[in-house]
Amino acid sequence: MSLTEIRPAPPGQPKHAPPPRAKFWLYRFDTKTVPYLLIAPFFLLFAIFGLFPIVFNAIVALRNWRLDEPDERGWAGFENFSRLLTDEDFWNALGNTFGIFVLSTIPQLLIALIIANLLNRKLRGTTWWRVGILLPYVTPVAASTLVFAMFFARDYGLANWFLSLVGFGNENPIDWRAAKWSSWIAIATMVNWKWIGYNALLYLSAMQSIPKDVYEASAVDGAGPWRQLWQITVPMIQPVILFTVVLSTIGGLQLFNEPMLFDENPASASGGSDGQFQTIAQLIYKVGWKDLNLGYAAAMSWALFLIILIVAAVNALATRRLGGDK
Amino acid sequence: MGRSVRRVAAVGLVAALAISGCSGQSLEGGNDDAAAGQVSLKINFWGDMGLDKLKAKYEAEHTNVKIVLNSGEYNAQHEDLQKKLVAGSGAPDISAVDEGFIVQFRSQADQFVNLVDKGASSYESKYLGWKWKASQSADGKQIGLGTDVGGLAMCYRTDLFKAAGLPTDRESVSKLWPTWDEFIATGQKYTKATGKKFVDSGTNLFNPVLAQQPVGFYDDQEALQMEGGPKVAFDTSMKAIEAGISANLASFQPNWDQGFKKDQFAALACPAWMLGHIQDTAPDQKGKWDIASIPGGGGNWGGSWWTIPKQGKNVDEAYKFVEWLIQPEQQIEVFKTVGNLPSQPALYKDPAVLDFKKEFFTNAPTGQIFAATAENLQPQYLGKKNGPTRVAVENVITRVQQGGLKPDAAWAEAVKAADKASKA
Repeated sequence: MSLTEIRPAPPGQPKHAPPPRAKFWLYRFDTKTVPYLLIAPFFLLFAIFGLFPIVFNAIVALRNWRLDEPDERGWAGFENFSRLLTDEDFWNALGNTFGIFVLSTIPQLLIALIIANLLNRKLRGTTWWRVGILLPYVTPVAASTLVFAMFFARDYGLANWFLSLVGFGNENPIDWRAAKWSSWIAIATMVNWKWIGYNALLYLSAMQSIPKDVYEASAVDGAGPWRQLWQITVPMIQPVILFTVVLSTIGGLQLFNEPMLFDENPASASGGSDGQFQTIAQLIYKVGWKDLNLGYAAAMSWALFLIILIVAAVNALATRRLGGDK
Repeated sequence: MGRSVRRVAAVGLVAALAISGCSGQSLEGGNDDAAAGQVSLKINFWGDMGLDKLKAKYEAEHTNVKIVLNSGEYNAQHEDLQKKLVAGSGAPDISAVDEGFIVQFRSQADQFVNLVDKGASSYESKYLGWKWKASQSADGKQIGLGTDVGGLAMCYRTDLFKAAGLPTDRESVSKLWPTWDEFIATGQKYTKATGKKFVDSGTNLFNPVLAQQPVGFYDDQEALQMEGGPKVAFDTSMKAIEAGISANLASFQPNWDQGFKKDQFAALACPAWMLGHIQDTAPDQKGKWDIASIPGGGGNWGGSWWTIPKQGKNVDEAYKFVEWLIQPEQQIEVFKTVGNLPSQPALYKDPAVLDFKKEFFTNAPTGQIFAATAENLQPQYLGKKNGPTRVAVENVITRVQQGGLKPDAAWAEAVKAADKASKA
């Protein structure tokens, strides 16, 4: 549109004539209905791939459904759920899941924060660094996990080789899969490696929207970089932190691929010889497809669903506090 | 699974389905061309079952049939089949099922074509009796026709034996170990002379010894009985671990495959189908392996059946192909290509089998060796929960190998684990 083109309105016609009827309905349709149509595909897909499985899962959880006993179909009531409460395997898996979750989420988000803070400064080759930290995220999880599984091998593993350089385990190399602590560390390392860069980039983009004068003012007041990080940066990017905490919670509690491929004998899905690192997602898979008890597996999935909801809510609340929303 | 789909909604069973559903699937064999008189048969199996040449031959003889071979990973293929049976569609036209899974599938016999209806009963007398029965449901439906059996022998490395001052020709080696105790003693000699481990894993002693017992984990009334066969096998594996001759590697895993290449063990219990795996894993060890008899006599470990899921659209053509596959000529062809030993005893006397020598294994007469073990073996009833029970007990052996459990406390743990698995 050119500003010089000023033409007077044709005489006799009011400036804002009511549009013709058909056009009116089109406008109305455009403003009232189109937005719903545009967001509908998401909800449609969510209904098919999200809502339906949850509901179907809940129904299956209330039934007996064993693949090896096709005749024993029928309603089970809450039997599958009450069995959960006394199932050692379930509590063991729950403990493992939370253990690995704590070992992965907390260092992951802290390191991501520190890396983002570093990247937010003037560096040489900024783009190179930023792309570099995202590379682990792009690597397919199966590929990276298989490499890590070899890294943490008992014989000829790189991790043990590094340790032997500093004098650990020359005689008896660590069997990473044998104990809870070592297997948890190994798995948490894989998770951290993959997600630190991703979270760091999210933090970085949030940090870049913080006005520079806030930092200048605080510097004048004598705040060092560490204090600036905790008292200015963290509160100001709090919504993003909240987002990453919730997403890490969901991801961490659903951990499956890493423990599965880390296992020496993935086919058994037992998470180590004594369930040292069997996560709940893995146990659900084992109960469903190894023990062939789909009803019980569905009940476990529902329990996991509820646990994730609760933990995510608690974490969200805690993070709000951290950000200074009093 | 990417982060973007990690929503609360994707929890659990759905997630498990999605993740494992990604494994070992290819596009469904198109049945669209059936209208033009063309039939496409999709066949799922694992590893190498020697079908490549046979496919070409069959297609040349039956121009209207196209055969699609889909080889995948052992566990993934069985799980994929199980999921497709639950889903009611998507299963291959023909699927191989291994001994480890046949019990699980025969209890869902309604999902498979009853091969007796297609006229398979005429083959009953040709098969080893137990092989025929193992794929039969409780009410007599036959879901599969046998391919191979896993007659047992002991594979060993002649070069490593020589370095340890042990005999290397197969007769003398067989004489070293008529019993498992003598086998372990030989192992100790080897370990002492070389400082290296003798066998790959305690579990790979447990399994063959268990296979030699008259009764396995379950008796034919489906009652778990640990004090018989399992106890004997478990004690043998404990003895080997305590003697320090086991490299403690988990079978069929990357570390194990690496163990072949790094000479981490010198002897390996080998059913006939293991020969193919050794050849593929360590191709440069050609001529360094030989085959001796296994301590304690015959036994069976593994072996498969061809099954036809009922949901297929071309079950008649599928049956024709399976029927063709199990004819002696084709079975011998498979034996020669990959080493899988047929499950029809008449073939054990066939000159084509008896005279066959395997170059990779120092020209060992594999036909004679495995045919002899297969005929002598004691068939074992496999309970419904045989698979999970085996895994549970193997895990206890692994715990001992990892040092987390003392050998004298292990048996009680094994009984506990087996009991739990039997009730899972």
